[in-house]
Amino acid sequence: MKTIKASGIGNPIDRIEGHLKVTGKAKYASEFPVENMVYAQGVNSTIAKGKITSIDTSEAEKLDGVLAVITYKNAEKLKNYPKDMTNFSLTTVAPVFQDRQVHYYGQYIACVIAETFEQAQYACRLVKVTYEEESPDIHLDKNRGKAYKPGDSADFSRGDMDAGMREADVTLEQTYTTPIEHQQPMELHAAIVNWNDGKVKMYANQQILNQATTSISETFGIPKEDVQIITPYIGGGFGSKLNVYKHITMATMASKMIGRPVQITVTRHQMFTNTGMRQFDEQEMRLGAIKDGSLTALAHHTTSHTAKNLQYFEACGNVSKMLYKTPNNAVTHRLIPLNIQCPSSMRAPGEATGSFALESAIDELAWKLKMDPIDFRIKNDTQVDMGADKPFSSRLLVECLRIGADKFGWENRKMQPGTNKKGNWLIGYGVSAASRRAPYMKTSAKIVLELNEAALNANIKMDATDIGTGTYTIVAQTVSEYLGIPVENVKVEIGDSEFPVTPGSGGSWGAASYCNGARKACENAIAELKKKQNITESEEIEVAELLQQNNLTTFEAEGTAEPSEEYKKHSVFSFGANFTEVWVDKDTGMYRIKRMVNVGSAGKILNPKTAYGQIIGGLTMGAGMVIAERTQVEPNYGNFITRTLADYHVPVNLDLANIDVVFLPEEDKIANEMGVKGIGELGITSVAASIANAIFNATGKRMRDLPITPEKLIEAGLEPGVA
Amino acid sequence: MAKFNLNINGEDKTVDVDPSTPLLWVLRDHLNLVGTKYGCGIAQCGACTVHFNGSAVRSCQLPVSSLEGSKIRTIEGLSENGDHPVQQAWLEIDVPQCGYCQAGQIMSASALLESNPNPSDEEIENAMNGNICRCGTYSRIKAAIKAASKSQIA
Repeated sequence: MKTIKASGIGNPIDRIEGHLKVTGKAKYASEFPVENMVYAQGVNSTIAKGKITSIDTSEAEKLDGVLAVITYKNAEKLKNYPKDMTNFSLTTVAPVFQDRQVHYYGQYIACVIAETFEQAQYACRLVKVTYEEESPDIHLDKNRGKAYKPGDSADFSRGDMDAGMREADVTLEQTYTTPIEHQQPMELHAAIVNWNDGKVKMYANQQILNQATTSISETFGIPKEDVQIITPYIGGGFGSKLNVYKHITMATMASKMIGRPVQITVTRHQMFTNTGMRQFDEQEMRLGAIKDGSLTALAHHTTSHTAKNLQYFEACGNVSKMLYKTPNNAVTHRLIPLNIQCPSSMRAPGEATGSFALESAIDELAWKLKMDPIDFRIKNDTQVDMGADKPFSSRLLVECLRIGADKFGWENRKMQPGTNKKGNWLIGYGVSAASRRAPYMKTSAKIVLELNEAALNANIKMDATDIGTGTYTIVAQTVSEYLGIPVENVKVEIGDSEFPVTPGSGGSWGAASYCNGARKACENAIAELKKKQNITESEEIEVAELLQQNNLTTFEAEGTAEPSEEYKKHSVFSFGANFTEVWVDKDTGMYRIKRMVNVGSAGKILNPKTAYGQIIGGLTMGAGMVIAERTQVEPNYGNFITRTLADYHVPVNLDLANIDVVFLPEEDKIANEMGVKGIGELGITSVAASIANAIFNATGKRMRDLPITPEKLIEAGLEPGVA
Repeated sequence: MAKFNLNINGEDKTVDVDPSTPLLWVLRDHLNLVGTKYGCGIAQCGACTVHFNGSAVRSCQLPVSSLEGSKIRTIEGLSENGDHPVQQAWLEIDVPQCGYCQAGQIMSASALLESNPNPSDEEIENAMNGNICRCGTYSRIKAAIKAASKSQIA
């Protein structure tokens, strides 16, 4: 079917919406012109635990332009969480103002609706609240007795951990900690909501539309089909825009109350307190190996925190179930409820943090064994996912490590830390292995073919989203490939919940799912057109000609792609290896990431240009975990001390190294028919360990608490065995 | 409220707003020029960058009352057809991902090249350091500025 006209998958074509994004014309949620619109703004609590005793809105209501103030007193009754400690999922309801309780600092306690954004913001300051304050639970250490197991999936064990440790010649027991982090996409959460006669239409930057409409409809007790979300462009998500947060509920409630469309844009402050975060994780690792480098035992125990009324945990230990061959394995996750907002997914939840612990510990054990850390990883490679008892659909981790080592110049690494010097700089090389599940989920699409003279145009519709990943482009390339038409003849319409259902963007499943859904719609269109003319399936014929033979100028078809039985019998992961060179100033502890090499094995690469962008983005955010990112919690009051971009530091242009990204040529046909795997989270996975391991190689100091700041580095002592 | 005469993208505009209104909101709410983005409101992210008499400035911190007699250029006015050398380099090197910060990045980059047509790596890093990109496009931003610099000089 492929013709020379097709500019199909695998080609590094320019992003098809790129022109809109370099001219400022791509429209984001808050930018749609809507008549008669008013503005809502939330008021945040200034205590972490207690009860509202009075709330005086009179002064705010008197202000020019203010239309209403909503509090628990006049809010409509919404569906509440079904039980205490409900799992915070993509469809969880988002009730607000249902009682007087305050569970964390910054919780919305009122909402002002006004004619202008400024009036709404100012009026928020005039709402006067008194509280009956209680002492909040903020410290993990002071609340250890409240730790609980969050469900059956939290624990896993295989073999006998203690026996494995006894059998080992060398063992390691260390704890690694990673702080609360915030996703902070550059586009603030925003929505324009119009409640019209029981139906809700909104422009809102949600990553996953189908589940978001479920959440909103259940919160308000209206049919799901009466909720429409439109979001053609999303200014970054990183997990922050997966769930439905309460600003959506406030704006919807406000529109219903006022009878006008309501715009809400959360502030950057509120992006810290009200739109999710990565939780603090304390990870205890126990590993043992015999002299030849074979692992005998591996345990990964994570303690973290959740909200007082909702439950979320990132599964840090999952990576330790599957990455290495080890007969004895134990993984646990425990949560401590605190008066801090509920954590949520942030890019590679579980893997980004879990692999920091595992890949640091592996490096430490290799050092103790006096083995090269790459050889040690290769020694313990496995083609079977021992955690799931299934073979991997494909796993080229060893190839990633070997090819990366070659490209990076690993042979120049000095085993003994502190021996590679240049003036005041100590130079270190570090490596880590990366793995990220590459899911593929049921996805539907609708294709409309139109014959214009002899030219075939196609319009594909699906409720997919593009959070910067390149969805528009790879879907267009897929349609181009399967219809055999130029990519310019393909129009991609996404970001509308009324289009056929997809799993949305998140969890590294977008690309594989979207493209297979688009493929299936194309294949169905061709099959239906052939059937009408009794043409056999195998006969090669151009789609334009098929339409002509059918005397049609237009034709529609739908398709739904789903994982195969083979997919279900395998563990499907993307793999990679990170290599980093750091230069550490031996006196000040300041360090620079000089260069990185990342080798990925992620199936067929749909578009090397957009794919490369995903990896450098992941590496950058992973570097952020090490150099800067940390949300500090005030220990008495429970507010975030770092709650602007002035004090929550993210990587900037000066921080970044020369980055070299390589994809291994691969097609994983077990993963899905197109052989595609996700890469949105592969880049961030384990890069933190590769930097920390490079810092060890430079300095002889093991840094087990992120971020690695110069003062921590100066204070740290040398590891035993370092000269 | 007060009337202000502004020169934006070569056109004279009159707006009737509170004198303390930041330029960002005059652009977005009163002139419907939404290419300039709101990112933080405290001049820490660079998403709202525009040219003020040719220099890159943060429009979220620039009160409208300080603008009389000056020339403002926004992303919408950078080029007629989106074909400024920086925009072209941005497209070729696939700099934008989510795109939200990119108007600000492009305005910073184009101001840099106007004052320094052939910047070194270090000069690029220093000039672009105040523009945050959470998608992590920094290495491509550097490459695109170099490409634009070459095409401008040639």
